[in-house]
Amino acid sequence: MTVAGRASGPAGAERTVAPQVGLLVGGLVLLTAVAVLSMGVGAHPVPPGDVVRALLDYQGTDNHVIVRDVRGPRALLAVAVGAALAVSGALIQTLARNPLAEPGILGVTAGAGFAITIGSALGLAAGQAGELGFAVIGSVIAALLVTAVGRRSPLRLVLTGVALTAVLSGVALGLRLMLPDVFDMYRFWSVGSLAAREQAPLALPVAAIVVSLAGALLLSRALNALALGENVAQTLGAGVGRVRAAALVLITLLCGAATAVAGPILFVGLIVPHLVRKPAAGSVPWLILYAMVLGPVLLLVADIGSRVLLPTGEVPVGIVTAFLGGPMLIWAVRRYGAGSL
Amino acid sequence: MSIRRTSGLVGVLSLSLMLAGCGSSSEEGGSKASEKAETRVFAADNGKITIPADPKRVVATGYAVPALIEADAPLVGISSWKRGEPMMSEEDLAEYKKLTKVAGEQAAETNYEAIAEAEPDLIVIGVPAPVLGDIDVKRLESIAPVVAIGPSLPSAWRDLSRKQADAAGALEKFDAGQKTYEAKAAELKTKYAGVLPQLKLGHVGAYGEVAKGNFHREFGGSWGTNITEDVGATYYGKVKKAGPGSAAVSEYPSIEELPDAFAEADALTYSVNADGSVSEAVQYVLDSKLWKNLPAVKAGKTFPIRYTEAATYGSAMNTLDAIDTSLAPLLKR
Amino acid sequence: MNTSKLKVERRTAVLIAVMVALMLCLGLLGLCYGASWASPGEVFAVLTGADRSVVISDWRLPRVLAGLVFGAALGVAGAIFQNLTRNPMGSPDVIGLDAGAYTGALVAITVLSGTSAQLATGSVTGGLAVAAAIYLLAYQRGFSGLRLVVIGIAVNAMMTAVNSWIVLRAELEVAIAAVGWSAGSLNGVSWDDLTIPFALIAVLLILMTTRAHAMHQASLGDAVATATGVGLNRLRLLMVLVGVGCTATVTAVAGPIAFIALAAPQIGRRLAGAAGVPLLPAALTGAVLLQGADLLAQMLLAPVALPVGVVSTAIGGCYLIWLLTKEVRRA
Repeated sequence: MTVAGRASGPAGAERTVAPQVGLLVGGLVLLTAVAVLSMGVGAHPVPPGDVVRALLDYQGTDNHVIVRDVRGPRALLAVAVGAALAVSGALIQTLARNPLAEPGILGVTAGAGFAITIGSALGLAAGQAGELGFAVIGSVIAALLVTAVGRRSPLRLVLTGVALTAVLSGVALGLRLMLPDVFDMYRFWSVGSLAAREQAPLALPVAAIVVSLAGALLLSRALNALALGENVAQTLGAGVGRVRAAALVLITLLCGAATAVAGPILFVGLIVPHLVRKPAAGSVPWLILYAMVLGPVLLLVADIGSRVLLPTGEVPVGIVTAFLGGPMLIWAVRRYGAGSL
Repeated sequence: MSIRRTSGLVGVLSLSLMLAGCGSSSEEGGSKASEKAETRVFAADNGKITIPADPKRVVATGYAVPALIEADAPLVGISSWKRGEPMMSEEDLAEYKKLTKVAGEQAAETNYEAIAEAEPDLIVIGVPAPVLGDIDVKRLESIAPVVAIGPSLPSAWRDLSRKQADAAGALEKFDAGQKTYEAKAAELKTKYAGVLPQLKLGHVGAYGEVAKGNFHREFGGSWGTNITEDVGATYYGKVKKAGPGSAAVSEYPSIEELPDAFAEADALTYSVNADGSVSEAVQYVLDSKLWKNLPAVKAGKTFPIRYTEAATYGSAMNTLDAIDTSLAPLLKR
Repeated sequence: MNTSKLKVERRTAVLIAVMVALMLCLGLLGLCYGASWASPGEVFAVLTGADRSVVISDWRLPRVLAGLVFGAALGVAGAIFQNLTRNPMGSPDVIGLDAGAYTGALVAITVLSGTSAQLATGSVTGGLAVAAAIYLLAYQRGFSGLRLVVIGIAVNAMMTAVNSWIVLRAELEVAIAAVGWSAGSLNGVSWDDLTIPFALIAVLLILMTTRAHAMHQASLGDAVATATGVGLNRLRLLMVLVGVGCTATVTAVAGPIAFIALAAPQIGRRLAGAAGVPLLPAALTGAVLLQGADLLAQMLLAPVALPVGVVSTAIGGCYLIWLLTKEVRRA
């Protein structure tokens, strides 16, 4: 009841919201710090002073070019993709009422990546609009398939997602072995990475992410009502069917756009909602806001890790998040235990 | 396929006969020469191997494929070797396409039965030493003597292709090809003597990976540089951490290290595809602002080089022509 | 009660006969098929020693036997873990035992010199370590099969990430060899590679056969099992050892072959119409599946052979989705 009061009662919100705003501001400060750090760390060392100067007083020196034109776009991309994955995870978990739901585990990411691979092999997914289109189509099909097969039981949902991911990766690997020239793109889509995206045209997918994030915030009130149960939602006047459909559209858009620019990155959508669930205290709008801030922080940290874990070269960020995500999933299972499974 | 299967039955049968102790090396080879079974000992990567002095039926894989096709060795089966196709002469390409394929591009895709069916009296394997682990050499040895002559340094193709041709008993044609190449290289060296040797050069290779955000820097003696060096060029610097094989002469730094790598270069060369188009990995470097900031690039001294994968004297002739075309502007001043 | 039990037994007997016949057919097909087709008559002549053919007796025969024996071993390992977790998803490849064994093998290749003894030790150690870790993590005021499966999926993701990292760190040429191996392949398997693994698998399977009855009882419920005097914890430990041993041995020779362990016990169980997950149908189905997948892998791209792991992943994954769909419809 306090939950409902906090989210929907504007009068009550005034009183209880202060610590949450403080936390949000703290998160934003952390995000800024990590973003600046990520622009300073890399193969070519750039002193912190130069990072700040590159951002405020651009002179076009090599260090400035590295910060502004190589690492800057990469950091921005990490922010967009991190926010997209975390929010789509929060939306799925709220919608499915399943703490294990996540676009990567549910095979939605794999569907998007596979569709792009097929699309580019057919020569249809050229350019950002084509890639985005195929990614969204792939994630919609995967989401529908997995929910159709796996509904009713949270565990079955997860299992279906894992199976779908395995099938798609097997088929993609087989196709690549049979037609190596046509499926050369497979290497690019088989593992998620943020490297070398600075030259790619990313305006459209990033715009799609921003619009969807705004949409998620607008929808969050209605989802909050939905989270209290469908009866409550109906009495509060939220059209249950419409809200669900809208949320599904947002999930596939966010996940598809993130996969289109970065390839499959797993577990961010799982970890972040769990980390912010407690401070959000059952309020969906806060859950989504926090996810929007913490998702980028996590992905930026993983991306910094991807640059320093090897003596030369990089570990793709998708591998880093999978390694970080494993323990989180274990923690979630132990925490939410047999009851939710 | 069906034709090969019926004839294959004969192959299996004759192989079993052969191994049962009949001793004659092959049906066609049943002439006087092979009945005497003259052999010699040949030093290869896998030890001292006794091979026929005058092999009649040779199977070649990997780097040995283009070398032995050029040298007109008596081939009866080869592995697929796509990367060499654009560099083959029309005649050699026709020969390459006609020959039976007994293995895929990767060593793990070796089809032992297809090799046995080709009834070779010599097998020449041209794969890097660590990849030999993917091949069941023992099984191949039960078919015919196996000589492994794999690439080590990218520039070592001169010695290796000679060894491969030597094993296959095809040195005559090979030596002629080598002479033509060396004459042409010497001619170009004189042509560019006034402009090329004094330049400090750097090279961007084709094997960088965009998805990893790196570029491929090649130093002297690497794929993209060794033939240009024959023309008199010098590439400066050396790898940060030398490894075995190609890792001794090339490395894959992050794109961020482009200025550190090439700031001192007077001129830069870069590998392009055989048809002159720029590969994705190289285009990524060329489009980078860091590249455009380099002094050599600002001075307009960048030169694309085609056919950098050449690993035989025949294909390297293409490379020499390509270098001549690309470097021509240097002479104009 | 009695008649239904009889029915199940008769059905099982028929199934076993059919499966053995299928195994023999696929095995014969494997001996005949290759770059050149050998007639069954010729194959029999070689097998009985009337004729000699190195290709058939030293090249095709070990590969066919490896397909059948490894398939059976994977099927048994799958049945054991599905019994332990009482969940069809509890098979070794899903919960990360394959990935763990592969980690051990990768360490043997990249850090040590990668001899076959090191490969075997490395992969068994890796598999056991992962099994122990999953068991400990899943143990929380009692034991839940479902929890174990999901924790296994998480561990699988982590071990796969670790494997990619090891491969990325390795020297380029070694990495290429290791990548080629990651899909699991029977190409180029020879007698030398097989003697020790076959002996090991034989010991493990015989050990398991002696305890099969106890396992079947245990799978019907802990309460019944304790009542009939089964030392439950000792039995479980033995089962885990046999399961991990089978998985790791196969992985050491052929690399990770996915989804046979998952699919075989479930198909076998349905065909036998039995309660629980019986071992023999699982073993026979596994042998048929792997040998069939390997034949398919050889034929799809002939003369170049695909790794059998690619084929088994696609087949197994599709099967699993079908399985889940059926369960939804029934629910």
